[in-house]
Amino acid sequence: MNRMSVKKILVGLAGVCVVLGLLPQLTDSPYMMHLLVMSCINIMLGLSFSLLFSAGLVTIGAAGFWAIGAYTSALLVTRLDFSYWAALPLSGLAAAFVALVVGLVIVRTPGVAFIIQTMVINMILVQVFGHFEVFGSWAGILDIPSPNPIGPLVFTGKVGSCYLVIVLLLLNILAFYALYTSRVGRAWSAIRLNARLAETLGVDLFRYRLAAFMISSAGAGLAGSFYAHYFQSLEPGMFSVFKSIYVQIYSILGGLNFYIAGPVLGSLIMTFVPEFLRVSKEIEPIVTGAILVGLVIFLPGGILSLPERMRSFPVPFLRRKKETRFS
Amino acid sequence: MPIAYCLLPIAYCLLLSEFGSPDMTTELFAQLLVNGLSIGLIYVLVASGLILLLGVVRIFNFAHGEFYMLGAYITFGCCEVLHLPFFLSIAIAIVLVTLLALFCYRFIFHYIRGDILLCTAASIGLSMMLLRGALLGFGTQERGLHPPFKGAVGVGQVNLPIEKVVAILLCLAVMFGLYYLLMRTKLGKAMRAVKLDNEVASLQGINTNRIYLIAFGAGCALAALAGGIIAPVFSITPSMGHSLLLNCFMALVVGGMQSMVGGIVGGLVVGLTLSFGMYYVGGLTEILLFAVIGIIIVFKPGGLFGEPEEHE
Repeated sequence: MNRMSVKKILVGLAGVCVVLGLLPQLTDSPYMMHLLVMSCINIMLGLSFSLLFSAGLVTIGAAGFWAIGAYTSALLVTRLDFSYWAALPLSGLAAAFVALVVGLVIVRTPGVAFIIQTMVINMILVQVFGHFEVFGSWAGILDIPSPNPIGPLVFTGKVGSCYLVIVLLLLNILAFYALYTSRVGRAWSAIRLNARLAETLGVDLFRYRLAAFMISSAGAGLAGSFYAHYFQSLEPGMFSVFKSIYVQIYSILGGLNFYIAGPVLGSLIMTFVPEFLRVSKEIEPIVTGAILVGLVIFLPGGILSLPERMRSFPVPFLRRKKETRFS
Repeated sequence: MPIAYCLLPIAYCLLLSEFGSPDMTTELFAQLLVNGLSIGLIYVLVASGLILLLGVVRIFNFAHGEFYMLGAYITFGCCEVLHLPFFLSIAIAIVLVTLLALFCYRFIFHYIRGDILLCTAASIGLSMMLLRGALLGFGTQERGLHPPFKGAVGVGQVNLPIEKVVAILLCLAVMFGLYYLLMRTKLGKAMRAVKLDNEVASLQGINTNRIYLIAFGAGCALAALAGGIIAPVFSITPSMGHSLLLNCFMALVVGGMQSMVGGIVGGLVVGLTLSFGMYYVGGLTEILLFAVIGIIIVFKPGGLFGEPEEHE
């Protein structure tokens, strides 16, 4: 990474900040703002999926750690009267801690076993949240207050929530970007490309994978904390395995090899396009499923791989590159 | 040897009942055992199909539960609407679902074979389409097949519901058939060769594409068969496949994903735990199951009969 590209990226980031900062001003409708907030939350979840993918692990349990963040934050604020600003980092820490405990066991078996185990953990978490009275059982937690105001800044309405989630998202992206460009990120991509070779170069597979699992869970936990206070009520059904599957779709749609831009684009499309098409809830899963299948067959590198594809246009689209290979 | 492994879950459920309340009678124990075995063997069938796909074709099929659901619906339709005999209905269900599965394989998975993540994603998409299609086509109400067999079997002083006993016997027969297919026939040998190393297998003159197709069809046929067997025992809903598949995943986590033995033991452990747990702890059963799974993967990260894959 030379100096020039760092400067370019900084300029780009500043541009993104300005655009995102103006975005809530563009529209008056609370509906659009709600969609914007939801897509930002989805982006944070997609980023956590991609972070784990960058280390060669695939999770179908993102929603479980999202739930841990949401429940930690909601319980701390409603039962123990914490300030939101204390509960936010604590919920990230709680998700990372659970990931540490669970990961000590499951990160040892990467591959298909890891996919299934994360999925089972997601189901366990939903059951645990539903069964015990402490977590509000199946009825969930109601009346979660909005984030406390800081001086003149209030975060009660849609606009306030919008700005708050954009700030959180940018912090999230910056942190993950810093990780990807650092030694850790290079170690992760080495593991993804060839685990055995990476190990001979002195990369401790277990520790780096565990770190990736914890960091990605912490990211999902932070998103959950915001979600709890934005939505103001929680129930275990929101965090089912289906949500984790959707998170996976966000990253695949955008492009798996684009760890940051991929989830951003994918989540925006998956949040806004079904709403604009006015697809009825009845057939929405059919459309989503068809999109997923078509995408996987015709464009396995995701939407962001299109420019590269177009460059070699006469080559039929069905001839695939083995770039996103996972095994 | 596999039969010896099958005795393990029986010992396990004896263990479960030992720690229970003192009012456990032989009758109750037998009822719980038959309940657990019948649902456990259904898990075994579906999990064996999953393991076959995973081992030979390297596809992790999320649409398996939907094939199972379709199998149950087609059996129901043939029995109740067309008034065909029960076993003929199951045969029709297997043929139709296998055709659908082969179609899906040829037009979806054939192009992305070998890339587990993409195959998983595609099968999730397929599962979403089939599930919602079934919801729209069949409606949400529960359907029940009139049991083709009525009455109870008396074993000593214990009376057991006959449809569950038939389900158990059918599942056992199918498992032995599968064992014979994989271990004693040339086709089974070819499948095992492809599982070990597909490139070397194709060097030996095995048509790997054909083997993939057959293995995919066989795995989905097992799911359809399980659906047909379960149709007279439980109510039929479009979401039945989804809940079953989640339990089968747990069976895979318990047993391991490399061998059929893992699927058998895992399926029986999950089924028996659910059956006995429902009696002892009621609503907390799933938590009990998760505790069992947690203990197992702490000590055997790859499952009871699986080797942990350090370098995937």
